[in-house]
Amino acid sequence: MMFDLGKEIRKWKKSLQKHEVFENGFIADIELYLRDTYNAQRQAGLTEEDAFRQAVAQVGTAESIAAEYNKNRLVMLNRRSPLRPGRFMPALVWNYVKTALRTIRRHKGYSLINISGLAIGLTVCMLIVLWVADEWSFDRFNTNASRIYRVYRNESATKKNSTSTLTPPPMAAALKRDFPEINKATRFGYWQRQLVTYKDKSFNEPGFRHADPDFFNMFSFPLVKGDPETVLSKPYSVILTEKTAAKYFNEEDPIGKTLTVNNSYDVIITGVIHNDSLNSSLEFDLLSPFEILINESIGEDNADNWGFNSFRTYVMLEQSASAENLNQKLTSYLKKYTEEDTDELALQPLTDIHLFSNLGHDLRNRGDIKYVWIFSALAVFVLLIACVNFMNLTTARSANRAKEVALRKVVGAERSQLIRQFFGESILIALFALVIALILLELLLPLFNTLSGKQLTSGWWNNSILLLGFIGLALVTGILSGSYPALFLSAFQPIRILKSTERSSGANPLFRKVLVIFQFTLSVFLIIGTLIISRQLSYMRNIDLGFNREHIIYLSIHGELHDRYGSICERFLQEPDVLHVTASMALPTNIQSSPGTPMWEGRPPDAKMEIKADFVDYDYIETLEIPLVEGRSFSREYSTDPETAFIVNEEAVRRMGLEKPVVGKRFGFWNIDGQIIGVMKDAHFQNLHYKIEPLVFKMFPGWLRRMYVKIRSDDVSATLASLEKTWDEMNLGYPFEYRFLDEDFHNLYNSEARLGKIFKSFAALAVFIACLGLFGLASFIAEQRTKEIGIRKVLGSSTARIVALLNQEFLNCIAAANLIAWPIAYFAMKAWLQKFAYRTNIEIWIFLLSAALGLAVALLTVSLQTLRAARANPVDSLKHE
Amino acid sequence: MAASTRPIILAILSRGEDYGYSIIQKVKDISGGHLKWTDGMLYPVLQRMEMDDLITSKWKLSGESRPRHYYTITEKGRKELASELVSWRNIWQALVRLTKPIPAED
Repeated sequence: MMFDLGKEIRKWKKSLQKHEVFENGFIADIELYLRDTYNAQRQAGLTEEDAFRQAVAQVGTAESIAAEYNKNRLVMLNRRSPLRPGRFMPALVWNYVKTALRTIRRHKGYSLINISGLAIGLTVCMLIVLWVADEWSFDRFNTNASRIYRVYRNESATKKNSTSTLTPPPMAAALKRDFPEINKATRFGYWQRQLVTYKDKSFNEPGFRHADPDFFNMFSFPLVKGDPETVLSKPYSVILTEKTAAKYFNEEDPIGKTLTVNNSYDVIITGVIHNDSLNSSLEFDLLSPFEILINESIGEDNADNWGFNSFRTYVMLEQSASAENLNQKLTSYLKKYTEEDTDELALQPLTDIHLFSNLGHDLRNRGDIKYVWIFSALAVFVLLIACVNFMNLTTARSANRAKEVALRKVVGAERSQLIRQFFGESILIALFALVIALILLELLLPLFNTLSGKQLTSGWWNNSILLLGFIGLALVTGILSGSYPALFLSAFQPIRILKSTERSSGANPLFRKVLVIFQFTLSVFLIIGTLIISRQLSYMRNIDLGFNREHIIYLSIHGELHDRYGSICERFLQEPDVLHVTASMALPTNIQSSPGTPMWEGRPPDAKMEIKADFVDYDYIETLEIPLVEGRSFSREYSTDPETAFIVNEEAVRRMGLEKPVVGKRFGFWNIDGQIIGVMKDAHFQNLHYKIEPLVFKMFPGWLRRMYVKIRSDDVSATLASLEKTWDEMNLGYPFEYRFLDEDFHNLYNSEARLGKIFKSFAALAVFIACLGLFGLASFIAEQRTKEIGIRKVLGSSTARIVALLNQEFLNCIAAANLIAWPIAYFAMKAWLQKFAYRTNIEIWIFLLSAALGLAVALLTVSLQTLRAARANPVDSLKHE
Repeated sequence: MAASTRPIILAILSRGEDYGYSIIQKVKDISGGHLKWTDGMLYPVLQRMEMDDLITSKWKLSGESRPRHYYTITEKGRKELASELVSWRNIWQALVRLTKPIPAED
């Protein structure tokens, strides 16, 4: 018999194939070896048959090789199955998308609720992201931002550790001279409004600031025109912002042109900067060398006055210098120049100024990191409520998907695949929502800007980081809202679903209730927050301040106006509708503490008292209608009043420990030895965040900067027109610009008002989204219980009772939500109210009202559905069986 | 399998890709024909090494009629080989030290 190699090999292979463990690939591999060995043996001279036997012997028995493979297989089983399908099956993706789209299409109502809820949530989040990014960006456009610090004072004169950002004029240069680690230093100062004139155009400029030549080497304001090295070095020069330049020159090139200030001196324009889109804590419209301020406003004598704390000082450190080391050296620095000054200096990073500063005498228009947190939390709340809607509706309606899950499992889907499928679906829906949200964002941005007082633009279409961020946000939302449904749906057991004919009841109703409670807890919390904030706001606006701020206009008196103040007063008082005219240095809303402690009769040698002080004119007390509890007001009948008379408030009297009668007691301040002529009732001149502090008024005609005109309330606009006419007739050379004093008091609470508005809108959105979800849930439950309702009706139940029955479940949830929200809201709002020295009480009716509101809205939403179900004709629901 | 088999295979493959028959011949040459097992049992070893990501394999046509299954060492395999070399060297040194002939006394 001829030896047939092919046949023998087939036989040999068959013997291997008996062993399950050999996969075809292994056998093919070993077969190759067998053939190679066979060839080698043949070449060595063996016969075909012998060569084959030898080769088979060399390979070894199937059992022994199989045993080795089996060991490997055991290892593999511990790791992963050899039959495991790929982690990702591209062929199925299209099927997933198709299923998802079909689900969305088939259940339009629920999909609408899901997508619109998520879209609103995402929009709110995106608005807040833009807002937070904007707040965070302040001062960071400066390339040297990390090396720039503001120098501030810790006032040791007072016990309560007050701070001030105001520093004296000689400090910047001295610091730069004394510390080699300070590379650059500049003052940044403002004295008063300036009347700026170019040809026939003339404006009172509140944004006229002064700085040193280092300014442009420290800060990175981009110069559109001019040379940063020399731009502030000419003594009488000025730099304009683009906006200001346009105001005076339109299209003309402003460089080299001359502006006249206060009709008395000229400045030449050496540069134009672009600052519109920059977020800077340093705000200015015109910037001139600091020398001008010294020469024209405070006088040469004050250039070296270390007690003249009126300006801000910024320093830039060397690259290698440590701010901490410098801080230590600065603590006792002031003593070097003024022995009696015990204040300590310290550095504040530039990038902390906008959000983290709480120093005294700080710049206006600052942000607050607390509001950043609060708004971020609110955005997350709204998004969470939307996510809960998605979870709730998807799991409640899971019965519809149960068959699909079961079938997929039967044909081999693993749980992890199904989890991925459902995550994919929720992400798809989140991405739909994102598209809508991006459109909503553009539509709502102007509205949000008026709410938040910002000029935000999104520009996501050409800002890839922002767009990626938004997509990331949508993905997180999709994963978050899909998490529970994915785990829940993928856990269905096919055998139970495919065998039973009854419909599964959907997700665990307890969990659903927990989610509804969670949503309404947040909603009720927001409602309570809104009520308390608006209550505090109206409390602050309507509280009796202790004086009358109504129908008072004020004007700035600067430059030449100052000299004509007397004649303006005279002319104004001739107007029949003008009741009083007076003036002061500071606005009543902005009276500052004066450094040092006053002297009073019987003062213990070590007694200290911080006191707020203002310089006023005759009739100030009468104009503001501040009641006097003792003594009299400043009067022309006493010739000594402008020199030595002081009027203090009750709080000052209390702190000084003066006995009645206070009038006539000796009192001195700023090296003036005088006496108290009157005691005013305590009044709230400051923001209600602060307690009433000691206050002193003194006449000082040279320092009056604001003029107040109290007018009759009958016809305000006619009176104002007549005042303007008088003003123009006097040819003062300054425009008639006035503001109402009560407006200023309102503006003290701008940030609270803003918080109130934003809280209100967020609360409304949160409640709206939560109700959307409730609506969906109620309709689902009503649909599920159609038969039950039909039977109940046939048995004689009334519509009202059925509605009550269906509403019961939701009402319980909302009651529970209230119980949870109340204590949380109570403590959160109590903490917020702590900021105010004068505040409303948190009263129980606020909670009851929020509960009632929450219940009413929820009841309305649910009843829309339940009523329909309850009114349905039982014949329709029962006839199909 | 003997502890030396895996490093020997790695060492062979570190010189370039190779296929089953050729590898086994080289293993046999190196170990002086003292392998206790049959040649076929090296295939499970190769499979196990592939599972451990020390080597990879692919079927390739190399001028012959049949495709051959070629094995290549991976980066992880190279690292494994290097550390095996170190420990083998240590064992070798220890053995040498222990079996040094004791100097004879005159």
